[in-house]
Amino acid sequence: MKEAVLLLAALSSVTFIGWNVLRLMSGKNLRMSLPETIAVSYGFGVGFISLEMLLFYSMGLNFMASHILLPWVIVIAANFVVRSRRPKVPAPVPSAPCASSWTKAMNVFLAGGIIFEIAYAFFRALIKPIESYDAIAIYAIRSKIFFLAKSIPKDYFSSIAKLFPHADYPMNIQLFETFLYSAMGSLNDQLVKIIFPLFFAAILCVFYFAVRRFAGRTYALCFTFILASVPHFNNYATNAYLEVPLAFYIFVSGIFLLRWAEDNGSTPALILSAVAAALAGWTKNEGLMYCVIYAGLVFLTVASKLGKVSRKDIFNALLYSGIILCILLPWALIKSKWHIVNDEIALGNLNPANLFKQLHKLGPVFYELQKQLFGPKKWNILWPVFILVMLANYRKVIGFPQRYVGAVILMALGGYALFYMISYVDVVFFASKTWARFMLDFLPLAVYLLAVTLKEDIKC
Amino acid sequence: MDSAQLSGGYGGVKSAVLKIIFLAWVIVWAFFVARELLVKDNLRDYIALAGRSLEGKRAYVTGEDLYGFLNFCRANVPSGAKVSIEGIEDGSLERRRAVYYLYPLIESPEPDYILAYGKAAAGREGYPESAAGEHGRIYKKIEAAQ
Repeated sequence: MKEAVLLLAALSSVTFIGWNVLRLMSGKNLRMSLPETIAVSYGFGVGFISLEMLLFYSMGLNFMASHILLPWVIVIAANFVVRSRRPKVPAPVPSAPCASSWTKAMNVFLAGGIIFEIAYAFFRALIKPIESYDAIAIYAIRSKIFFLAKSIPKDYFSSIAKLFPHADYPMNIQLFETFLYSAMGSLNDQLVKIIFPLFFAAILCVFYFAVRRFAGRTYALCFTFILASVPHFNNYATNAYLEVPLAFYIFVSGIFLLRWAEDNGSTPALILSAVAAALAGWTKNEGLMYCVIYAGLVFLTVASKLGKVSRKDIFNALLYSGIILCILLPWALIKSKWHIVNDEIALGNLNPANLFKQLHKLGPVFYELQKQLFGPKKWNILWPVFILVMLANYRKVIGFPQRYVGAVILMALGGYALFYMISYVDVVFFASKTWARFMLDFLPLAVYLLAVTLKEDIKC
Repeated sequence: MDSAQLSGGYGGVKSAVLKIIFLAWVIVWAFFVARELLVKDNLRDYIALAGRSLEGKRAYVTGEDLYGFLNFCRANVPSGAKVSIEGIEDGSLERRRAVYYLYPLIESPEPDYILAYGKAAAGREGYPESAAGEHGRIYKKIEAAQ
């Protein structure tokens, strides 16, 4: 019981820190509802606490929860001073009450379905300790090492890291697990799994309010329910794998990028998108690909203005890449110092001659992809419906601003295909084990694109 | 949901198609939730796990025998020692769990101790048995003469 209370206090503190960082960065023009703000704050809080812990390691400081939280008092104080000078930010306009009793009943059903999925994810995550393969072999073992050493041990990168698989994997969630162990004062690998359903609930929250910006309550609930009830998505909210946190950062980054595009170059939205993209890269290596995709989209958008490019546009484009580089630099330096490299993929193989030689791998890659697309066990009927809707509405899909989302999904698919081509691992094995996980990364964006494409003028 | 609200300005056919798709989604969803709980027998696991302590849950998900053996090893091998694990398939989920629960005992090709699960033997010279438990044995390296 004491551990649970300490855990909740730590999570509240982290979310509050994330909220302060978010408010400092977002400025006065970024309108967000309270639940949406809390959801984004949680993800940002997790990322900033783990980055701070990496800094603690560099400075030779121990991982004590109270010490980790203490420096944030400065940010909270700064936010208090800055915020007090700003006008109050208006909340999004609430939708009109629905008249039809049928619609009300549907709302109750959809909200009930979403609540059931969230509650079910929390239940399944918290009923047992961390026990699934990668969660144990890659992530939880590192959290345990850091917690027992009360730091990242001095010989960790030189020797210990190499005893366990994938030393090069970023450490956002592993360090945050360590922080929660430290806050609880024990290695409770059951309660620490709360991280994952919280990310699941946070995605659903951000998703709902993203759809509510252009559609009514029933419509938003409908697509939030569809996202929540994708079986594979819900499963991964419970097994302590990192796909759901990664999907959160990718989705949040994409949504803020869209708002930047829609709001005619809103710098706060762009900053938040860059931070979320960088945190995706700090969560899993796949996130680095999304950093490149998003930064590329920002540059393309600015470049497409041709003769009308302003200084602000150029500043924004550079700022975007600059933020990502700043956040990812400490981890990149550590990897470089200790010669930690990926043992599955070599970017040196990314040259035309080698890619031509590896073309034969595309057969198994696309075979496995179509198995995923048409298998209802993991995805319900999402992907066949998605493909049909995209084909039937291709003019809308390439319209503004949804073409950004479509472009991200297409480039991500291409990026993953490239990964398979340059990987050392047997492609049939690799694709069969990873495609479904990779697809989770852009799943919320895909459901969002579906919602945008099917949107019409809806009264409630 | 009112199909006109869901599909907005779409024609009658598109509206009906979307309505059917949503209905199909709900049916498939309900089927897989029920399958997950009942057919895949997860409900039985949840009931078994619900009343257990954290240690009991670790034992349940790891397997009572294996977890008992790992506890036996942790109690009988000094912290930080280098170990080799026999009787658990390399690369298997059980092996990963064993490595996780045994830490700060660290796997090494030059072990101080060999931890033999089940009926496995030490498999090399110079490691006499140092402890025997219900689910396996521990072999300790003979110290080199000074």
